[in-house]
Amino acid sequence: MAVYKKTYRSYEGRMTPEWARFFVLTRYAWEDLQRRRFFTLFFLGTLIWPLICALGIYVRHNLSALELMGIRAASMVQIDSSFFLTFLGVQCMFAFFLNSFIGPGLVSPDLSNNALPLYLSRPFSRTEYVLGRMSMLLILLSLMTWIPGEFLFGLQSYLEGWDWFKANAGLAWGLFAGSGVWIVFLALLSLSVSAWVKWKPVAGGLLFGLFFVAAGFGQAINAVLRTKWGNLINISNLVGSIWVSLFNKPLESGSGAVFFRIARGEEIPVWMCWVSLALICLFCLYLLGRKIRGVEVSR
Amino acid sequence: MNADLIVFDNVSRFYGDVLGVNNVNLSVPPGITSLVGPNGAGKTTLMNLMTGLIRPTRGSISVLGVRPNQPEELFRLVGYCTQFDNFPKGMTGFDFVKSFLLIHGFDERDADRRAWESIDRVNMRDAANRRLAAYSKGMRQRMKLAQALSHSPRVLVLDEPLNGLDPMARAETIALFEALGAQGVHVIVSSHILHEVDRISDQVILLSQGYVVAEGAIESVRGEVKDHPIQIVLRCDNPRAVAARLFEDDNIVEVGIHKDRQGLLIRTLNVDAMYLMLNRIILEVGIEVESVAPADEDVNSVYQYLIGAEGATV
Repeated sequence: MAVYKKTYRSYEGRMTPEWARFFVLTRYAWEDLQRRRFFTLFFLGTLIWPLICALGIYVRHNLSALELMGIRAASMVQIDSSFFLTFLGVQCMFAFFLNSFIGPGLVSPDLSNNALPLYLSRPFSRTEYVLGRMSMLLILLSLMTWIPGEFLFGLQSYLEGWDWFKANAGLAWGLFAGSGVWIVFLALLSLSVSAWVKWKPVAGGLLFGLFFVAAGFGQAINAVLRTKWGNLINISNLVGSIWVSLFNKPLESGSGAVFFRIARGEEIPVWMCWVSLALICLFCLYLLGRKIRGVEVSR
Repeated sequence: MNADLIVFDNVSRFYGDVLGVNNVNLSVPPGITSLVGPNGAGKTTLMNLMTGLIRPTRGSISVLGVRPNQPEELFRLVGYCTQFDNFPKGMTGFDFVKSFLLIHGFDERDADRRAWESIDRVNMRDAANRRLAAYSKGMRQRMKLAQALSHSPRVLVLDEPLNGLDPMARAETIALFEALGAQGVHVIVSSHILHEVDRISDQVILLSQGYVVAEGAIESVRGEVKDHPIQIVLRCDNPRAVAARLFEDDNIVEVGIHKDRQGLLIRTLNVDAMYLMLNRIILEVGIEVESVAPADEDVNSVYQYLIGAEGATV
């Protein structure tokens, strides 16, 4: 056997902190996204509704503007939990569309290009990989939902005063937590669909299918079996019920946000909505765990 | 645990009912080690086990004293270049190398510098800012090698790294492996190109159907293959006289004289006895010897003897 002089030195210097490394994936995914014109236009388009809402809040508190337009303050829309729920409903629907556009392209290219062994033969875990990919969606969807929502809440509090802020502080939490539930759910759903369906248009279509077809299927169960438990697979109903509870509103027929309204006479307990949503999320994690592996074993 | 060896201790890996590798016991020292075997022999499985991408069903592995279930420590030591083209979509060659350095934990400036250094080592600077999708097979292969090298690993695991390289690139790549091996890096290479394996390897591991058939320096492996007589080529001015005397030794199986009457091929069961006798013959008969060399002390012959028809696909 040859005798070797050990002249080789491996790197022993400082490394960036472990917790920050998954952001490398987020950063490259963001750069990739910026190259798509449709994304930029759509994303900017989603900021129009928050701007209209902000304008509404401002005008409502500006008597001279109201006088100029000949509108009475009482006839203007009330800035209350319904206003913020409506805001959340619209923005979360936009988030759903954007997620269906971006989500399917986050994991599937790595799987179809066999890139996972490259990521996972680093000091980089499967969890960090999923977090890196998911952060892209978490940040982007946050910019569309709770961040402008909290801005509107701040604007209203500023214009209305401390008493209004104290009386409605729960709305700020409702906006944050309600958006958070929807964003995490969407991100997990789209990543797991992306991991299993390698063809992006099909994966995008499947996300729509899961949202709308599951709702239709739930309605069919309700109609055929004369029950309300079919709503447990109706995602908009589940999320709507959770939002209503987070906004401290009574769970009653027809309440909830636009696009996320609770069907009349078919309310199901909020805790069951949480459990149902959590089970779907756990199933998504299971699907991700099955696919995000260093080596795909084909038997 | 030895901090200088890659150790497989009774390692088996099954994919359900399908055998990946079975009862593997290995100690791989620094230098260039080649994994040789037909398709499906378990070479890639062994590499995936070494890099912790899959876990053994049974047994344990340590890479320079680190277990593969400690990825944070392991991947400081290991660089892996997989067999298949695996690239994140839409990246340039430079981004490809740099992004993985960032994931590895190098800061922006260090990652930039190392990426260029590593790209220079594989001679790809001119093409570094082009998209990977536009690369030829050989260019992709070299870029993969650059990313495996870029963080200065002490163990380089390279799954068929010479595939698709043109002769020039192949020669450069082999020179790079030899330089790294000489510096004390563990370079683990799997390859089907046996004459190149033979040229560069300090030791070989022969695999067949999930089992390690032989391991070690090629000469010692050949010496262990007792079923096949060792072949020696002797070039001299009087081969007929030598042939006549050689048959006095019972260990000589066959002697054939070359067509040009300037040499002979000797097949013997005991090479040491044959060399002693040859020395005597040379002195007694007074022949002029041009060269004496083993004819089948190479990976190809050992492969044929030990794996034979199973490896016909190679």
